[in-house]
Order: sequence, then C-alpha cells, then structure tokens
Amino acid sequence: MSTTAIAPAHAASRPAGTRRSPRRDYVGIGLWAALAVTALLWFLPLFLMFMTSVKGPADLNTLPMWSPPSTWEWSNYASAVDIGDFWVTAGNSLLVALVKVPLGLLIAAATAFALARIRFRGARALLGIIAIGSMVPVQIGLGPLFSTMLELGMLDSLFGLVLPYLAFGIPYQIFVLYGFFRGIPDELEESARLDGASTFRIFRQIVLPLAKPALAALFVLDFVATWNEYAMATTLLRTQSNWTIPLAVQSFSAQHGTDYGPMNAFIFLSAVPVLIVYLLFQRYFVQGALAGAVKG
Amino acid sequence: MATVTLVTQGRTRRRTPPNHRLSRALPYLVPTLVLYGWFLVYPMLDAVRLSFFEWSGFRTDDPRWVGIDNYVRLFTQDAVFWTALRNSVVWVVLSLVIPTGIALLLALGLNRRMVGRNLMRAVFYIPAVFASITVAAMWRWIYNPTLGFVNQALAGVGLGDWAQSWLGDPRFALASIFVASIWQGVGFSMVLFLAGLQTVPAELMDAAKVDGASTWQRFRAVTVPALRPTTVVVVILTIINALKVFDLVVGMTGGGPAQSTQVLALWSYTQSFANHQFGMGGAVATVLLIVTLALVIPYMAWSMREEER
Repeated sequence: MSTTAIAPAHAASRPAGTRRSPRRDYVGIGLWAALAVTALLWFLPLFLMFMTSVKGPADLNTLPMWSPPSTWEWSNYASAVDIGDFWVTAGNSLLVALVKVPLGLLIAAATAFALARIRFRGARALLGIIAIGSMVPVQIGLGPLFSTMLELGMLDSLFGLVLPYLAFGIPYQIFVLYGFFRGIPDELEESARLDGASTFRIFRQIVLPLAKPALAALFVLDFVATWNEYAMATTLLRTQSNWTIPLAVQSFSAQHGTDYGPMNAFIFLSAVPVLIVYLLFQRYFVQGALAGAVKG
Repeated sequence: MATVTLVTQGRTRRRTPPNHRLSRALPYLVPTLVLYGWFLVYPMLDAVRLSFFEWSGFRTDDPRWVGIDNYVRLFTQDAVFWTALRNSVVWVVLSLVIPTGIALLLALGLNRRMVGRNLMRAVFYIPAVFASITVAAMWRWIYNPTLGFVNQALAGVGLGDWAQSWLGDPRFALASIFVASIWQGVGFSMVLFLAGLQTVPAELMDAAKVDGASTWQRFRAVTVPALRPTTVVVVILTIINALKVFDLVVGMTGGGPAQSTQVLALWSYTQSFANHQFGMGGAVATVLLIVTLALVIPYMAWSMREEER
C-alpha cells in the first residue's frame, strides 16, 4: 500500500493549525463528560476500598463507607501484612511466578517454533489439539488433578503447583507465538541457514529476539494470571505456609467475622507487585497487543 | 494482548524429507507434550472416565463402575445441576452483551485524542489486575446489608426502601455478582478493542471523510470490518472466561443462597471436593466440557479456515 498517494487526503482532512468546527467540539465535550463520569464510576469501588482500608472498626460501624476516617488507621496495613502473612504468601506467589512464567514462555516458544517453522507432518493437528487446551476450563480436571498430584506425592507443594500451571498456561502462549513465528519472512531463516546456522541457533538468535514484543505481552499476562490464580491453588495447596496470595485473603474471615480494614489493606498490597510488572512492561505490552491482536 | 488468530505469511519450501523434519522438531515439542499430556489432557479425560464411576475420592475406597447412572441422576434428580447449567448459559450470554458492549464503546471513545485519556484507560484497566478472589471480597463488603456502600448510598438519596440483602436474596444474588464481573472484566476487552482500532486504516477513514461519509457511515463501512478479527478474539475469550467463572462466586456467595448462584464449574468442584462424589463431579465436568467444546470448536474451525486463506 502506498503511503505517498494517501498523504494528500490525510493532509486535506486535518489542515495544520486549524481547529475543528465548533459543532464537533460539543460532541467532543459531551463524549468526554460521559467517559469521565463512567471512569469515576469505575474508580468508585477502588476509592471505597481505600477508605475502608484506613478505618478502624468503630469508624466502619458508624461512618458511611465513602467518608474519610475520623482517625486514619494506617496500622491496618501493618495488620494486613501480619494477618495475611504477606511476606510468606507473597514470597510463595513470587517464587511460583518467577519459575513458572519464564519457563512456560520458553517451553511455549520452543513448541510454537517447531510448529511454525519446522512444519513436520501432523503439525496442524497438534496445533489444533493444543489450541483446544487453551479453551477448556481448569475446573473440569481439578478432581483428577488432585488425585494425580496425590499419587506423585506433590500435593501441597509449590513445585507441584507449577506443573499444572505450566500445562494450563502454555497452550494459549503457543497459539499466540505461532502467529508471530509464522509471520517471520522465510528469507531471514534461509539466509541464516546458508551461513551455516543450526536450527537451535535460528530459534535462539533470530526467532526469539523478533518475538520480543509478543513475549513481553505474554509475560505480563501470564505473571498477572499466575499471581492471581485461585482454583488450582486452593485445590492443591493445604498448609498455610504454602499458601499463595489469593488464598491468604481467607485469613481475614475468622469465626467472629471479617476484619474489613486490614482485609482491604491486604487487597491493595496484593495488587502492588502486579501493578509494578504491568507498569514496567506497559510499553511492550501495548506493542505486543498491537502486533499480535489483530493480524487476522 | 495478543490473540488466538492464526496468521500465515508466505509459504515455505523445504527440501528435507518429512520424517527427518519430525526428528528435528521433537526436541522442541517434548516439554510441551509431557506437561500438556500429563497435567491437562489426562485430567480432562480422567474426569470423563470418572463420570462413569461412583467414588468418594478417598484413596482407601475403590471407584465402582456405575455406567451412566451419574448422568441419569444428574438429569433427573439433581435440581442444582439445572440451576448451574442455566446460570452458566445466562452468564455467557450476558457477558457477551453487557461488558463486551461497554468495552467497545469505551474503546471507541478513548481512541480519540482527549484530555486525561491515558488516566481514564488506566482506571478502566486497573480492576483487571486484581485477583478475582480479592474482587469478590471487595464487593461482598460493598454489598454488606447494613454497612455496605450500596444500601448506604440508596438510603442517602432517599431510596432506603430499595435496600436489599443483595447477596443474600436468591432474586438478586447472581445479578449482583455479575455487576462485579462487569467492573472487573471490561478493561481487558477494552484494551483488545483499542489494539484493534489501531488497525483501522487511516487512509480509508480519511478517504471516507473526504467523500462526505457521516460518522455513522464511517463506523459501519470502515471501523466495523477492521475490528472483525479483534471482535472474534474478544468473543471467544469472553465465552471461555464466562464458562470458567468460579472465583467470584466462591468468594461472594459460595453458590448460595439456596444454590441460586451455582454455576457448572463450581458445582463440579463442590460435588467432588465438598460432597465427596467424584463421579457426579466428573459428570458435571463432562457436561461443562461438552458445552465448552460446542461453543469453541466452531471458532477453531473458522480460525483454521482463515489461516488457509
């Protein structure tokens, strides 16, 4: 598609330095107002959670949920760390994510590479079988998964948890990376081969670097998903010292009721690492989304 | 976010014989084949197998073959199953309409240049980074009958009569959970739609403007076709996530009151782990598997056909 031929039309529609007509500005302002109101509505639950997280029990029982506390109970955050056993549970979650996410991406990339670039017989069928795996709800297999882990003696172990996490994480990643790897021009690979590069070298030095935006996007998604995973963790982990962050939320509901202040503080704390990863990788995330989401 | 759409560019011609290629591919496939087969495919198939047995799940008990008895019981005696099936289907349909529609509108709005655009995008996306189980805890508090925001706000504006036990009343519980799921789910679809909007060809849009096409005409003729692949991705991910809904229900109602918020994924889990009926749990899981495949295989076929082109 030639850009030069199109440039004049583009220029004609938005003359430099000219403001849009007043009529369209009203539409623009109305739209902005509607979006701003919706955004406020979306922000409201977060605001309420924050207000709850800085209130003591007395304020919670007397003040409306949206009002600031009479005394700011920042100590709720300390209690949250304590009751939720934050350093242990966050450490467990981090350990699982830091093993699972890079390892899973590597395994997925290798398989996507074989499917997309080596093209052996049965590759398409295998891709189809893997694709279906990215769509089945994990809850279908939780019962048997429990039995399997029990037989392997890996129930209630973080390492044991990583294995099904990997299995349920890679199908989608393979699917996405397959799309990327198919898009790499053959000439690139052929010239490398003429220079004597091995298949592994092509994978490592050509295909993987080119897929960086996709890998970064998948890293963010997978980190968030792993950090937040609940169904498998609650099925396979038993003892409290092995709990991950999502399981720790239940520590705040005891027989005598829920400690809402510390619990809401804990919810905010639990999202901090995910937000950090999201902000660090945001640039790549958007690139990856742009490159990957819509090549159909 | 990336997609499930298959892409082809260029056709490769290689001189290596096929079996040679497989041996070359195998090292790259082995970890996936082992993990995927052992921890995904096998549990799925085993759930189907278990649905033909009666088993408490305890190692000391042996599973007893009962044929299709579990299914007969499921379809004729298990009222909770029908509630769960209906709720799961309702959840899928509503998810396809409400959050997806809101996400599309937000993406169209936030695709324009405007003050505070990035901040607004962030506000809509942030709920998506919270774990569903924590979102459930948040919203249970918001719905608290006496101290919660919803009833307090209603009383504040003089609608105190409307105050409800939102999660404690079978009439409102499922809808109340669904509101939380809209809040959490919109941001992700919005990001996908925003990414899709980047592929709307600017030159086509400008040409349409020059030709005097109205905003609506431009939307219909240029934006909608360009968004088609993205929409398919959003739809399939929405369906999958709707069938998987679990954490929100567990955290907010546990399926109650009176099983009114029960869904297939949770009912299968409850039968297996709480009621110690792994056979019945397997039967529910099998139904969930069949529903899932019935919804996603047409998509797969479409996707594969797209790739052929």
